[in-house]
Amino acid sequence: MATPDQQNRRTFLKTFIKIGLIFLAFISGIISLVFLYPSEIRKRELKFFYAIKEEDLPRRGVKRIELAYESNQKAGSFRAFLINNGGKIFALSSVCSHLGCLVEWSRNNNMFACPCHGGKYDIEGRIIAGPPAFPLERIPMKIRNGKVYLGLKV
Amino acid sequence: MESGDRGDKRLYPDYMSEILIVIFFSLGLVVLLSLLFPPPLGREISFFSAYQPAPEWYFLWLYQLVRYFSGQWAFIGNIIVPLSSLALLLSIPFIDHGTKVSRNMAIAAFALLFGSFLVLTLFPLIRI
Amino acid sequence: MGKAFDWIYSRFGIKESHKGLLKRTIPGNVNYSYCLGGMAFIFYCTLLISGMLLSSYYIPSEKEAFQSVVRIMRVANLGLLIRAIHKWTANLLMLSILLHTLRVFANKAYRPPRELNWIAGAFTLVLSFASGFTGYLLPWDQKAYWATVVGTNMIATIPLIGNSLLLLVRGGPEVTGFTLVRFYSLHVIWFPLLMNLLLWAHFHMIRKQGISGGL
Repeated sequence: MATPDQQNRRTFLKTFIKIGLIFLAFISGIISLVFLYPSEIRKRELKFFYAIKEEDLPRRGVKRIELAYESNQKAGSFRAFLINNGGKIFALSSVCSHLGCLVEWSRNNNMFACPCHGGKYDIEGRIIAGPPAFPLERIPMKIRNGKVYLGLKV
Repeated sequence: MESGDRGDKRLYPDYMSEILIVIFFSLGLVVLLSLLFPPPLGREISFFSAYQPAPEWYFLWLYQLVRYFSGQWAFIGNIIVPLSSLALLLSIPFIDHGTKVSRNMAIAAFALLFGSFLVLTLFPLIRI
Repeated sequence: MGKAFDWIYSRFGIKESHKGLLKRTIPGNVNYSYCLGGMAFIFYCTLLISGMLLSSYYIPSEKEAFQSVVRIMRVANLGLLIRAIHKWTANLLMLSILLHTLRVFANKAYRPPRELNWIAGAFTLVLSFASGFTGYLLPWDQKAYWATVVGTNMIATIPLIGNSLLLLVRGGPEVTGFTLVRFYSLHVIWFPLLMNLLLWAHFHMIRKQGISGGL
């Protein structure tokens, strides 16, 4: 027969084991999460990259451009639309604001259409139909010495 | 394993031999399908061309679901609906607590889950 | 069982504790719809083996993943077949799990004392979905890439923690080689291990509770 002392000791040890195991699970869980979380999330800064010559800008309508760039020794690529809407020239990102597919300009319907979930935008990038929550992103554009530069967040 | 046969049988060797037949049938089916229709590999990744990624058939329901929730409601379709369907699936044993009414409720819940899975899966298939 | 087997048996001592396993009886009224779960398990085993084979050729890196899959398909002996088996089995696994769920529901086999087993089964379904999603990225082709971009972007719609979760899942703000390795790790280590655990629990409960015979 166990004495009351031994009984107490066992109850204490049982509680200790319970709490100890929960503690171990908790700590290793936290450590795993911290380890898995990406360490280098660089602050993205706006950088301007040469896109095309000024005379190649569209006179009317939409022109798709694809450019490869290099920044911080990392190669990247970018796809955007240059638009001339009745004299107003601007650039739109081609990434659908819904879930990130690439939109395509449809000349017949006069709109940008996303192939994935049916998002549709007008020539200014405003939402016409579908699930997107935001308009297409405007890309800052600079024209200097006859060259067009686009500002990308890299 | 005829339905009229109510006599119990041993796992080994009676049942095991039946299992082996099922195994041969399943693996035969897999090899046959694989030889007839080997899955193709897609094109290399391109960041320039618009592309419509079609998910596997068992994700078509989600693919269809996210179309219906636009703008700020996207969160509902993307996360809430799938998670609550899982919660509903998990709670089926607790909905049905033995009475006839509760079994019917469980049937309704299960039919809702399975039915919407089927409808949402078939809908994009028909349209594509 | 042969001399070698007996030699192992006498030392391993597995015979006594598992004798019941082979000698136990199966209720006579089980019909062929009862083998859907078993088929799912056969498909799972096939996936494990074909997956192990594929993993000896596959390279989970941004630059080489696509080429390594091309190599599996064109160069490796029987590569086309093994990859096809892996892919087809995955589809059939999904199908058989769904049908198995249907059968179990129709038989009311989720009723006490089998509630927990229903839950374990539901989680194997979730794990299968997750394995399907992570495996889809591995060929690193157009389809895989964009499906993953779309699929992971859905996480970002969660209020407050969405963006952090997205970073955690992708290993960075975009789908890159880091995402590929992450998905590879989940697909070949985490999920199969968890699946084995769940299936063990699933079968353990079936053994303890018996096959739900009566309709």
